[in-house]
This record gives sequence, C-alpha cells and structure tokens, in this order.
Amino acid sequence: MEQTASGVPGARQGDGLFTLLALAVLFLMLVPVGMATFWLGFARGDSPCVMCWEQRIGLILISLTGLFVLRFGPRPKYIGMAVLVAGWGMFMALRHVGMHAARDIGQGFSVEILGAHTYTWALFAYWVCVIVMGAMLLVVRSEHVPAAPRTLRGVERLAGGAFLVVVGANLVQAFASTGPPPFLGQSDPVRFSFNPRHWHWSLEEWRPLPISLRGRWAVEKPDLRTLVSDPAAGPLVNLPRLTVKEQRPLTLPLDGPPTDLAYDPATDQFLLATARGIYLTDGTLSRIDRHTIVDPGYSVDLGRFAGAAFLDEGALIAVGENKSYVVLQPNDQADGDANFRFFLESRDRFDEVTRGRFGTVRARLLYVMSAAYDPGTHAVYTLTVPNNRARRLVISRFDRRDLTLSEEYSLDVAPASGLILAPERGLDQLFITGAAVADGKLFALSAAYGTLLTIDLVGRQVVAAHAIAGLTRPVGLALRGHDVYIVDDAGMVTVVARP
Amino acid sequence: MEFFNLLLIFATAVLVLRKPSRERLAFRLLVLSTVLMVLLFSMATRTGLLPGLNY
Repeated sequence: MEQTASGVPGARQGDGLFTLLALAVLFLMLVPVGMATFWLGFARGDSPCVMCWEQRIGLILISLTGLFVLRFGPRPKYIGMAVLVAGWGMFMALRHVGMHAARDIGQGFSVEILGAHTYTWALFAYWVCVIVMGAMLLVVRSEHVPAAPRTLRGVERLAGGAFLVVVGANLVQAFASTGPPPFLGQSDPVRFSFNPRHWHWSLEEWRPLPISLRGRWAVEKPDLRTLVSDPAAGPLVNLPRLTVKEQRPLTLPLDGPPTDLAYDPATDQFLLATARGIYLTDGTLSRIDRHTIVDPGYSVDLGRFAGAAFLDEGALIAVGENKSYVVLQPNDQADGDANFRFFLESRDRFDEVTRGRFGTVRARLLYVMSAAYDPGTHAVYTLTVPNNRARRLVISRFDRRDLTLSEEYSLDVAPASGLILAPERGLDQLFITGAAVADGKLFALSAAYGTLLTIDLVGRQVVAAHAIAGLTRPVGLALRGHDVYIVDDAGMVTVVARP
Repeated sequence: MEFFNLLLIFATAVLVLRKPSRERLAFRLLVLSTVLMVLLFSMATRTGLLPGLNY
C-alpha cells in the first residue's frame, strides 16, 4: 500500500527525503564500511581489532536504522535507535582514539588512511552521521510516516541490496578472523586470510580482568598521612644518622601549610611555598620580605604547589604536583592592575614570566612533590613519588632555556657507596618531597623513612644516604652553607649538618 | 561473537527488506544487536571503560 501526495501524480510524501536517506545508507555502507571490508580487509589483509569490529558494527547498525526508516517511515523509535547508536559510536571511537592520540607523530594502531588511522575516521564518520541525522530531522514531517510499510523505489532497493552484500562480506571476514561464538575479536588481530590454516580464533577477551573506569590513569594524588617516618623501616639498611642541630616552628603568617623550601645564597633569602603561595623570607626564616598568592586556575592548571626553587637572576619557579609550573620574577615596580589576572594577593611584588607544563615520558603517570635547580647546568629537576598504580622513582631534568625535558632516569645505588638495600626493597619505596642541588649533587629528602639521599648527577646514582630521625611529614629541603634546612607540613623547621 | 552479531543484523535486514510484516521482530533484533555491540565493546575495554585520556 502506497501513500500518495495530493496534487503530484505518482509522487509520494517525502520522496526527496527518502532518496537522500537511501543515498546516505549507500554512502555509509560503501565508503567507510565497504572500503574497510573489501579494500583494507580482503585486498590488503587488514583485520579489525575487537574495538574496531564494534565501531564498524555501529556504523552498520546506523545504516540498518536507515533501512527501517526507508521501509516504515521516520518513526521516533528508529530515529531514537540511530541517535543512540551514533552517540555510543562516538564514545567508542573516542575511547579508541584516546589510546593513541597522545603518541608521537605518525604513530598509531594498524593502517593509516589519508594521514589518519582507521579509528580516527570512525570518530569522524559517527560525527558526520549525527550531523546528517540532525539535518534530516529538520525536514521530517508527521505526514512522512506512512500507515503501512512503504514500497521501496530503485535507489532505496539499491541501498538495501548494498547493505546485504556488505554485511555478507563482513560475515565472511568476521568468521575468518574472529570465528563463531564464543570466539571473540582480538586486541591484536592476525592478518586476514581466506586460507583457514591462517585463521586464529581467540578467547583471550573472555579472560578475567579487573574492571576500572579510568584504568592506568586512575592515579591518586600524593598523600603524606600514611607514610612511615621511621628510617629503620626503610629500604636502605644501617644508614648513618644526621644529628639534628636545631628544631623550631615557623612563626610566619603563611596562607596555609608549607609545601617546599629553597635557599638563594646570592640574596640570603629562603623561598617558602604553600599550595598557592610564594614567600621570600630573610636568611633566618623570621621575616617575610615579599609574597604573593598565585591564581592557580585561570590558565594552566597549576594544581597544588609541591616544589619550588630559585632560578637565575632572581627568578623563581613553583611546580605543582602535576608538574605544571609558573616562573615568577620579583619586581618592586610591578603593575598591580596588569597583574590582576595572575595573582590573588600582593599583585605588585612579582611579575609572572611564564607558566606551562613539564612533559615527561617515564614520569608521565606519576606526581612529583619536589623541584630543584642546578645553576651549574641550568637544569630544573623533579623527582616522582609512588602512587597506587605505579611505584617508580624517576628523576627528570628540564632545560632552563625552554623548560623542556632533557633527561630522565630511574635511580640506582652506586656499588661503591656501601649502601645496602634490604631484601625485596627498592628506592622506589621512598617518597621524595624535598630536593636541592649543590656541587653537582642532588640532595633528595624522602618523607617516607626520613632518608636523605645524595645523588651524583653525572653518574646518576645514589652515592650516599643518611637517616634523619624525628621528621614528621617533611615537605621541603634547602641547603644553606653547611646546613640542611627541612620544613614539614606543620611548619616545623629542622636543621641538620649537610653530609 | 562479532560473527553472531553480524548474522543477527543480516537477518534483521532481510526481514525489513523482504518481510516487512515482521517489523516488530525486526526491531527487536535491532535492539538486541545494539545491546550486544555495547556489551562486547564494554567487555573489551573493561580495564579502562572511559577514554584513556588526561582528564
């Protein structure tokens, strides 16, 4: 039974719309799905991975809803299904792209088409589907919905035929490369072949695995509260102890708990950081010379300052746990109004030079809680802290000139140091919260097990280690003359002799 | 399982094109295929259900 349009002999309601839809189904089946099947699959031997299969099936399902509309009219339930599948398809493609989007230029998974890998094209294809569906919905009218199934016209029958042919070809490819149930597609599929001897059917995707929302990206922020402070429980055994020369509380009006400490011998000033604040004090830590509170979020998300260091020519750097940084320059003539966007307090005492993010490779999924500057090599150092997902102590070195990664490595104990690691223990169990450089050595203080490491920056090894008893959640370390100044998160300053 | 799902899709298309009177069954198969697609993708990505990006 056909529905006819009044006044137009032979024409039916919405013929133009249905023709457009038939062409869209044809395009979807012949170009993205058909090319993936016949050209990439049969001609070039490409087999979809388990995720690619579902993305391809999603495109096929959108085409199938198109056939429903061609036959039964644009009923809400078909349009709803198409939108649902397209929305899910965009999510699938984003999930897939997310695995590879941050890789180096040209890297990816499987084959590249016109400069983009196949899963990237899936994202584009789903996006186009949503756009096209939205445009078609603009012209859909209730009279386009027939009371009975429509009789398909030439181009519509062609779309249906093409659909069956392409899905039939996919059945062949799916049987060869994934097999019948319960076999399932593979993460790393085997090259397609018509020869059954080369078929590889797998059940690997059925194996039990933990379920997680963010997987390896679900990294908890550093937390000092659960750390063990007793040096005797640490990974390095029989460490010599450093004698505490002085211990006194800070009496400075900070805006929060201290998070790091640094010292500049040129000006005899200490640099104290809090989560948002930068404080320059005198050489006795008894007077604040200048301070500011940085607006952490208007641009680069600086997170919570965890490391701070003096750079060259009076400049200083504050580094967040997330390795984002801000470089500040003290300036008595700073324009407070111009600096309104950078600072929440004391806007006329500093200028913001730059803010950005340290990019790393080995330390990418690790937070840091320290920063140090070596004026001899013009390098900024950060050291990672372990987390719930990864336990790794990585030292990253960044060039002062472009603040870009120059080197990174995991630490070893120098054999000649005489240091002994307890059985089944490692340096990655330390939790470095303070660092400073002097004489080519990096001094790194672990809040866990109250251990001070001396690291040879040339040999990239720990050459000495000392225990400091009585520290509770130390967060910063500075070298002043022959002394090591340590500040904890309660504002207690501990001074020990530099080893 | 992909083969099975494609088989469902093929059967659904045949119903739509050749047996439109079975619209209700065809639509149920469409829903079943969609659910199967969602389940299979979710199973394949269960160790990190959300896109692996820096949130």
